[in-house]
Amino acid sequence: MLDSLSTSLKDALKKLAGRTVVDRAAVDELVKDLQRALLSADVNVKLVMELSKAIRTRSLDEAPSKVMSVREHVLRIVYQELVRLIWASTDVKLEPQVILMAGLQGSGKTTTTAKVARYFQKKGLKVGVICADTFRPGAYDQLFTLCQRINVPCFGNPQEKDALAITRQGLHSFKDLEVLIVDTQGRHALEANLIQEIIELNQLVKATHRWLVVDAALGQQASEQARRFHEAIGIDGVIITKMDGTAKGGGALSAVAETKSGIVFIGQGETSEDLERFDPDGFISRLLGMGDLRALAERAEEAIRAGDMDATTLMKGKFTLRDMYQQLEALNKMGPLKQIMNMLPLGNMELPEGVYDVTSTKMVRYRIIMDSMTSAELDDPSLINSSRMQRIAHGAGSTPDEVRELLKYYKLMQRTIKGLRGAGGKFNMQRLMKRFSGMQ
Amino acid sequence: MFGGLRERLQSARALLSGSIEAAAAAPPSEKPDAPAASRSAAPEPQVRPPAKKTATFASKVRTFVIDRELIITEKELADALYELEMTLLESDVALPVTDAIIAHVKKDLVGKHRRIGQSVDSLVVSTLRSALLGVLGEGFDLITYIKNHERPVKILFTGVNGTGKTTTVAKVGDFLKKQGFTVVIGAGDTYRAGAIEQIEVHAERTGIKIIQHQQGADPSAVLFDAVQYAVSHKMDVILADTAGRFHTKANLMSQLEKIRRVMKPDLVVYVDEAIAGNDAVVRAAEFDRTVGADAVVLTKADMDSRGGAAISIAHTIGKPLMFLGTGQGYDDIVPFSPEAVVEELLGDA
Repeated sequence: MLDSLSTSLKDALKKLAGRTVVDRAAVDELVKDLQRALLSADVNVKLVMELSKAIRTRSLDEAPSKVMSVREHVLRIVYQELVRLIWASTDVKLEPQVILMAGLQGSGKTTTTAKVARYFQKKGLKVGVICADTFRPGAYDQLFTLCQRINVPCFGNPQEKDALAITRQGLHSFKDLEVLIVDTQGRHALEANLIQEIIELNQLVKATHRWLVVDAALGQQASEQARRFHEAIGIDGVIITKMDGTAKGGGALSAVAETKSGIVFIGQGETSEDLERFDPDGFISRLLGMGDLRALAERAEEAIRAGDMDATTLMKGKFTLRDMYQQLEALNKMGPLKQIMNMLPLGNMELPEGVYDVTSTKMVRYRIIMDSMTSAELDDPSLINSSRMQRIAHGAGSTPDEVRELLKYYKLMQRTIKGLRGAGGKFNMQRLMKRFSGMQ
Repeated sequence: MFGGLRERLQSARALLSGSIEAAAAAPPSEKPDAPAASRSAAPEPQVRPPAKKTATFASKVRTFVIDRELIITEKELADALYELEMTLLESDVALPVTDAIIAHVKKDLVGKHRRIGQSVDSLVVSTLRSALLGVLGEGFDLITYIKNHERPVKILFTGVNGTGKTTTVAKVGDFLKKQGFTVVIGAGDTYRAGAIEQIEVHAERTGIKIIQHQQGADPSAVLFDAVQYAVSHKMDVILADTAGRFHTKANLMSQLEKIRRVMKPDLVVYVDEAIAGNDAVVRAAEFDRTVGADAVVLTKADMDSRGGAAISIAHTIGKPLMFLGTGQGYDDIVPFSPEAVVEELLGDA
């Protein structure tokens, strides 16, 4: 589905490629495809309509600059309009503060609370966590275990039924700490007594920040729920969770638009380290199922030259083990390969199934094996014969079989990339690497 | 429940009716036109329009005059269908599913002959009803299933993180217990911190036997033990909880496959939330493909007054919905009946 959508979007863009005048019909078609892409990414329907109207009007009204092709002109507008929506990237200050976490049931508040605590802890601040979830069984155990793993003090009392009382005690016993994070019970906007509770909690803790935790898969409900939370406690930041699945997070976008705040963090994984600062470009690319829109838009800004950009960024040189090493290193911080591939502008390119099957543990093994190779071997893997294989395996504490498997994987990757190159895709190693480093 | 969708569907229904009414109002003014044009323009006018313009024009007039019936055209419906499309999208019905429903309604209505006296409303309602019922399929009656099945019945709950599997297991357990079945719960979520404590408290409150190992244990082993326990104690039902997992994580999905091999469930129940958007379709399809799904439970239906996810998931994997979770209490679970839901959605306000 994703593939077919991004393909149709690209087809629509392609139609604009050769033109010198902005064609109303082509723009209409592009806007329609854009609408579909955004709608299937769960962006609020009204928001999509407003957005597409703005893009249509601007594309037709604004005269494209002389050096820009029509396609670049339209792309630039699409990019600008989208960025305008999510532009407000909330600044996370490294200073004493109280953070109140709010959200629907099962959106990932508790896990995220531990992640945020870990984030501030890594920045050298003294962090404490208060468990104000007095309803869900096991909530305190969960938060306590997570906090124990990262060595952060956690205040809570599974016997106490009054969230306000716990929080009051917690504030008192943690008054020497710098950053306090208050995890709350999941609630939704229709539960009036729970909304009242979070209003009182907010007054009690005098929160510096009130962050709304939103599941990436949340659909059209996002706007409404965000609006109610915003009315109650004034949300000033959104955290998107579960971005390691296939959901695109359009609901979070609606929430941001509704609360006029920004996206603070993105959670993608189950350990306390899996939290990242928000990167608008990556997010937009994923939303539209298209590749690096920013690079495209920037090219348009610079107006290097008009014409079809697809052919300009072909990968040069060969793909060596060294490249793969770097890639694996980057991937390790990025999450599943399939997801990354989705972010790349490959359209409906067929990739061999095996490429995806390398799990993260295997990647770590591969890197260790490659650490045992010489530079010459990394540059030219064909050097590796069975005696070298033996040596490498010995050095890495693995078996020759595993080395062989690594080489097989390397060949698969090499073929894949060759295939991409052959098909004239804009698969650029350098840009790929840059994207990876930008997202860490 | 689903009040929002109901309201919206009703307004869409009014619009559809409206545009058909408008179409009905139009022909009388066209009727004098047509003969007038034919008289002045050329001989054999009755033959020419069909050949040149549309085949429906002449037949429309003829049908109108002779049969006192109207033919509904695509053009007359366009606005109303667009409105219906937006309604469905706003209600979280996934895009491909929305397309399918719209196509169904269009196919059913366009070209349909309608007697002048016939109520437009009933025509629209019956079309929408058949479209929705077609999508929602049959419900799944768990009680009957258990009664007709060899004991113990092994039920495995799967789904992504945070959809409410553990709470659902507790609710279903309580529901079955009240129906007089003996139930044992297997605490198969050995990964998430606090998960075992959570289900333990639920089991204690509902008075259901629970089989558990410590955190980090092999879930297959826990669930195998639960099955053994049920067999030796002649229990009726085993409810197997599992850790939430994303369909993109190959190793977690193969763990789930192992669980399925080891405990051999009679029913695999896929749990998702009613508030999920388009991704609901993607992940339901992926779960169905890798570990299979025999029935679906949708949770958090109380937050969601729209219920599009129900329609999306049912349409995508074609598996029946079994329960709706509607709150945080043990009683907040409703057996799903498509007729009742569609009736509620389309019934009079």
